[in-house]
Amino acid sequence: MIYQILNKLDQKMHIETVKAHCDIPCGIYDPIVAQISALTVVRMLDLMTEFEAKTPDRNKEYMNSMARYIVVKEEHAERAKAEIRVIWGDYLKAQHLEKYPNAHALVHKIMQLGSKVRQTTDREQATQLVEAINEFAQVFWETKGVATKRAKAPYAPALELVYPVL
Amino acid sequence: MLRLFKITGDSLTPEFKEGDFVLVSKVPFLFIPPSPGDIIAFRQPGYGLLIKRIQQITPDNSLNVIGNHTESIDSRVFGPIKREHILGKVIWHIRKA
Repeated sequence: MIYQILNKLDQKMHIETVKAHCDIPCGIYDPIVAQISALTVVRMLDLMTEFEAKTPDRNKEYMNSMARYIVVKEEHAERAKAEIRVIWGDYLKAQHLEKYPNAHALVHKIMQLGSKVRQTTDREQATQLVEAINEFAQVFWETKGVATKRAKAPYAPALELVYPVL
Repeated sequence: MLRLFKITGDSLTPEFKEGDFVLVSKVPFLFIPPSPGDIIAFRQPGYGLLIKRIQQITPDNSLNVIGNHTESIDSRVFGPIKREHILGKVIWHIRKA
């Protein structure tokens, strides 16, 4: 009854609002974008290796295709880094860092690996990036009290990813 | 002495939901100083009018405020709030029907 009266009053007089706000977008954080981006880096390296093996001519068609693989590899390595930085900077709070004191070092490792896979064509570094981001995803879901499982991604290069069990 | 506000946002759910009304007053603080657990409305530079729960009183007599969720924008983001920015304590909560 009182609420209805106040609500009508609000419609006519616009009662001042007080914000109980969360971050924007509120609580929408998920490391899966970073995980898929890291997986894409590995995929691009595999495609580059295959393409190099089956294409003897180093002509402009070769250069063009190879350049496209490299561009996608660059974009996804940078995307993986950006996604992790956002979760690290915006989501992780002091109480998380107390519980997971290794989080800063892990994020730094991801940044370094993200740069390394842009600079090189080393598949081993790329799989290390996938694994480091998996480790970050594990921590992230633990902070939310969500159990995780490891499963092979259902697409090439079919590396294991950490998924939430929802 | 008394101010009526409508809540927006979800950082104090499930107790305080978006659309609820709250009556806020400074009068209670004339008798009992702000203490942890009090729900207060305050003005935070750069953030506007906010409603949060007092978490603790800092050694320099400022207040740390907190929401119910890790995503809440509160003292974990903007630090302690000054007492002069407090608009009052929630003395009546009118829930959305």
